[in-house]
Amino acid sequence: MTAHVPSRHLAADSSVRLPVILLFGNAVHWLVVASLLSLIVSVKLVAPGFLDGIPFLTYGRLAPAARDLMLYGWASQAAIGGGLWLMAGLCGVSLGGVVVRTVVTGAIVLWNLAVLLGTLALLAGYGTGVEWLEYPHWASAMLLLAFLLIGIPVLLLFDRRVAGHAGVAQWYLVAGFCCFPWVYGTGNLLLVWKPLQASAQGPLQSWYCGGLTALWFLPVAVAALYALIPRNLGLPLHRRELATLGFWSLLFLGGWSGIGRLIGGPVPAWMSSVGVVSGILFLIPVTIIAINLYGTMRRGTPAMEGMAAHRFLKAGLGLLLALGILGALASMPGISGALNLTGFTEAGFQLGILGAVSFPLFALLYGSLPGILARECWVPRLTDRHFALTLTGLGLLVVSLLLGGVFTGLALDDSTVTFLNIASYTYPFHVLECVAWLILLVASLLVGANLTVALAAGYLFPKTRP
Amino acid sequence: MNRLTTLLSGIFLVFLTSWLGLVAYPATRLGRLAPVPDPDSGGSFPPVYGGQAVAGQGIYAREGCVSCHSQQVRQRSVTGSDLARGWGVRPSVARDYLRDSTAFLGSSRIGQDLSNIGIRQTDAKALLLHLYDPSAVSPGSTMPSYRYLFEVRKIQGQRSYEALDLSGPDAPKPGYEVVPTAEARNLVAYLLSLRHDYPLPEAPVKKDGAK
Repeated sequence: MTAHVPSRHLAADSSVRLPVILLFGNAVHWLVVASLLSLIVSVKLVAPGFLDGIPFLTYGRLAPAARDLMLYGWASQAAIGGGLWLMAGLCGVSLGGVVVRTVVTGAIVLWNLAVLLGTLALLAGYGTGVEWLEYPHWASAMLLLAFLLIGIPVLLLFDRRVAGHAGVAQWYLVAGFCCFPWVYGTGNLLLVWKPLQASAQGPLQSWYCGGLTALWFLPVAVAALYALIPRNLGLPLHRRELATLGFWSLLFLGGWSGIGRLIGGPVPAWMSSVGVVSGILFLIPVTIIAINLYGTMRRGTPAMEGMAAHRFLKAGLGLLLALGILGALASMPGISGALNLTGFTEAGFQLGILGAVSFPLFALLYGSLPGILARECWVPRLTDRHFALTLTGLGLLVVSLLLGGVFTGLALDDSTVTFLNIASYTYPFHVLECVAWLILLVASLLVGANLTVALAAGYLFPKTRP
Repeated sequence: MNRLTTLLSGIFLVFLTSWLGLVAYPATRLGRLAPVPDPDSGGSFPPVYGGQAVAGQGIYAREGCVSCHSQQVRQRSVTGSDLARGWGVRPSVARDYLRDSTAFLGSSRIGQDLSNIGIRQTDAKALLLHLYDPSAVSPGSTMPSYRYLFEVRKIQGQRSYEALDLSGPDAPKPGYEVVPTAEARNLVAYLLSLRHDYPLPEAPVKKDGAK
């Protein structure tokens, strides 16, 4: 196989313009709302009297609302938008005629309606109580339908692509877009729409959480890394032959990774063992991705126009590596017994969604829009601050959750220390989490402002070209 | 891996492994676990929930109690602290959840594990007080108040036997009383029924309170 040197520009056809703008616009909007709700949630842990006694703002409804907005409002939607743009650009084909475009646009409206109504229903007290699947059955059905209406055209882009071999990024995109409906459909069918007898629900719940992360979010995020890093540098992928193993091992282990949450829990013993093994083996795909991409990065410097996106890609790769290491640590038997169910678990979740997933998604946002709008649209200062604040906020959040988790885990081991006492040890860490969420909220407002300026400039000065 | 069908078949097969192991296997095996007869009472383990507790489980779900409270006592081989803390007399097993509509295993313990709250707390009134104002009952608790599951009403004739004994800032105006709504009573009935102290073949309970 000859080394394939990508061109530095990824030009998606104009047919994806409206869907990509709509998806990213709505995603960023939900990111702001999710960050605000997360801030309120974190304040409630420090000052329980804050907005207390109001049914729709009670912790148990607000916390899942914030998390689900992060999962479905922001990350999934940005992944669909970024995935659509990448796939169209890499395959070099148009999304399709008026019918397909109308269907896709309608599906985007449907998706956002489902997120909005699902969140309102959850806050109003119609949540299911199934973690990560709190939306009522009708809202989750709307989400699944909306996904299929967008996802199938995206997969067909791959089938219709202009000849040439498929790149690593395209494998990951196909995998992500195939797995979402399967994971989300199975999870909802067997936990919400027609629930299994509850004795079987534990493994399924953990499979869903692991699957959504490792089979949907991570593949799209990794696709962004594989597509954009070599492209920004104008270099072929370093040691491409390893990428195949990385791809299949990520998919294989990703499906099993969630069961690590239930190590020692009410599941058959072999499942606990699989949780330990898959968490540790997950370092294989992560290491291969790191070899491929760090190896490529070492040999070049990015072109100026790719700089905004490149920073997010570089950080995203680092965070993915950190996530792999944290996941392996968390599944070691001694550690999982002490630290599962503490802030340590939450730290892994946030590092994944806000870090390893969101950073590549931001790179897709920053990388796609200039091409789509045919102009340099970002305000460099806002981009700089957004990057710096997101990284700072995320770092502070993850470190305080980790430290709080380790403290709690160690204290829980001494049964003479009362639970309330232990909760009071974590107070300073909860304060730090509030600060972190405040920083992340500001960061999300900055990317929102940047996007608003980028889009508005087109209407205010439609003929401006650089 | 250039053709969509090849790629899709590969993805399908790989996906299928975890789907079979963590979805199909639990659905067909764990999902068919049956209750174990209790020779002493003629009933079965786990016991059937009463009507109020079933309704209360719905309140537990919608209020998102699982955000902070797990319901799983883990194996001693993984951690000794769940049992040492008195959160259970034996580790939880899949069969324990058989009567539930949703298994509230949880992923976070901002509050304590509730698998056996019905053993630690047998007084409904104390639980109602806790739900009304957690920090009054356990100072320093970050648990939110569920005041909206209670009703403040004028005392008609005699004070209701259900009225909460509130003092300090929580005390209602003179002539008024705070009584639980049906939702609060159902939730408490559910909490009181959370006790996994019965023996199962796969999870025996040692006698004499030995842990």
